[in-house]
Amino acid sequence: MSVRPTQTFHPAAWIVWATCAGFVAFVTTDPVYLVLLIAVSWFVHASNRATTASDRSFRVFLIAGLVALVLRTSLAFLGAVVPSIGAVTSATIAFAFLEGLRLATILVVFGTFNAVTDPFGLVRMAPRRFHEPALAAALALSIAPRTIASVGDVREAQRLRGLPVSGLRSLPSLAVPVLERGMEEASTLAESMDARGHGRGRRSRYRPQRWSVAAIAVAATAVVAAAAFLSASIAGWGGLHPATAPIAWPQGDPRLLVAIALLATPGFLRTDGAP
Amino acid sequence: MRRRLAATLLVTAALLVVAMPAASGGAAACAAATGPHAALVVDTGSRSTAYCVALDAPTVTGIHLIQLAGAQHGLTYGLGFGGQAVCRLQGVGPAGDDCFADHPNFWGYWHGDGHGGLERWTWASTGAASTTVGSGDVEGWAWGAGDSPATHPMPPRVGIDAVCAPEAEPTPTPTPSTPPSTPPSVGSASGAQSRPASSAASASPTPRARSATPTPDDPSSSPMVQIVAAGPPPTPPAHGGVPPGVPIAAALAIVFVGAGLVRARGRKDVER
Repeated sequence: MSVRPTQTFHPAAWIVWATCAGFVAFVTTDPVYLVLLIAVSWFVHASNRATTASDRSFRVFLIAGLVALVLRTSLAFLGAVVPSIGAVTSATIAFAFLEGLRLATILVVFGTFNAVTDPFGLVRMAPRRFHEPALAAALALSIAPRTIASVGDVREAQRLRGLPVSGLRSLPSLAVPVLERGMEEASTLAESMDARGHGRGRRSRYRPQRWSVAAIAVAATAVVAAAAFLSASIAGWGGLHPATAPIAWPQGDPRLLVAIALLATPGFLRTDGAP
Repeated sequence: MRRRLAATLLVTAALLVVAMPAASGGAAACAAATGPHAALVVDTGSRSTAYCVALDAPTVTGIHLIQLAGAQHGLTYGLGFGGQAVCRLQGVGPAGDDCFADHPNFWGYWHGDGHGGLERWTWASTGAASTTVGSGDVEGWAWGAGDSPATHPMPPRVGIDAVCAPEAEPTPTPTPSTPPSTPPSVGSASGAQSRPASSAASASPTPRARSATPTPDDPSSSPMVQIVAAGPPPTPPAHGGVPPGVPIAAALAIVFVGAGLVRARGRKDVER
């Protein structure tokens, strides 16, 4: 919260984008689509990231994705230890790798969403009736980037003071200021909301963000991409789940590749002018 | 940290590279028809085929039996759920990794009692990846609907002796690379009928095939079983090249990553 993001698309456009990109990653285990989607996410992130602090959140989610990938793949070797699971073959390893890649892609998409959007913009646009659930959702969405940013800040401060910043020993001295800062931010948010009349039945809309043409384009192209994958998933075309036994080359249906490229729209449009 | 990350990436990439050709190349099958044998009955609903499969170990899993039949007789198959389940046999069944994509139709798995004579099929209670198939066993796969042994179609009743005829081994063939145009006669039951060799494995899975009349007491369930005896493997199906989508996707991905790097650098300059 200390660093306000620069102007970006309407938050709802980002929600649509993230939902559609996440859906695309969810319905396929084809590495061709997944790797391209990761590349597109990185491009969108690099073009639209709001602050330098959120850059960290993207990197953290990328690392989390890699960890998930390695964990899921190594779980395939469990069959060597527990025979009832089944034999360890190249097919089981490839299958596990592709599942892990799908998980990693979803995490990268979420990391991109975290890095480019202003979660509290969501609260502003929610109807009054849904204000409280929206606030809860915004807090939940922003907790990861805010915690990551605050961990980075605290470690930097400790390093400047010559304190050890790595190892298990330094963990308590890191956790306390981070938690304290989280509490402080929460109470600041509550006070500022109270001051603006929230929770009293009246609410002013200060500089409402309007849907720009660019934001509509972002949402529309994302919906088209998700619809393409939905139809491929239902009708069974496009090779969304490549066979792993025997291993075959994954398909790269040109129509679905175009659909993923459509998800890069926010990267080309950059930020739109806010009202 | 970055170096460790790169190492993890390298290891996973290497794993994939190692795994790819191992699975696609096909295992070297044992040509001799001596040693342990098991029968594999595949019933697509319209056609039944029984394969005599030479085992490469005293006991194998049900999945491995199918893989051996693929290597020895050119049976086309597709496994799913990470190679733990059977999705596709002889071109019938879903092509992807989800073996229940065509539900209610699926490949039902049956065990025979495997002691010569007529098979009594019992519904398999475990997956094919964790069963043990020994010499003389008969395994059955039937395509159809029905979630229980009472409703799912049963494979035709054949015996191990009819499929793996003892006098039929070993069957010499000139070269493993060219399938023989005239099948060697494999002596056993009635109606030895030769079939022409075909490269399309789904149309006719093997050059050595003949038809056998079903056992008389159950004529309705098995009109005709095509029996495939043991023998050296035919040439593995030619490997299809890289689909055009893969290089296109790779090029697109490189473009996006490059453009992202340019953007990231540009923004850093602005912030400075």
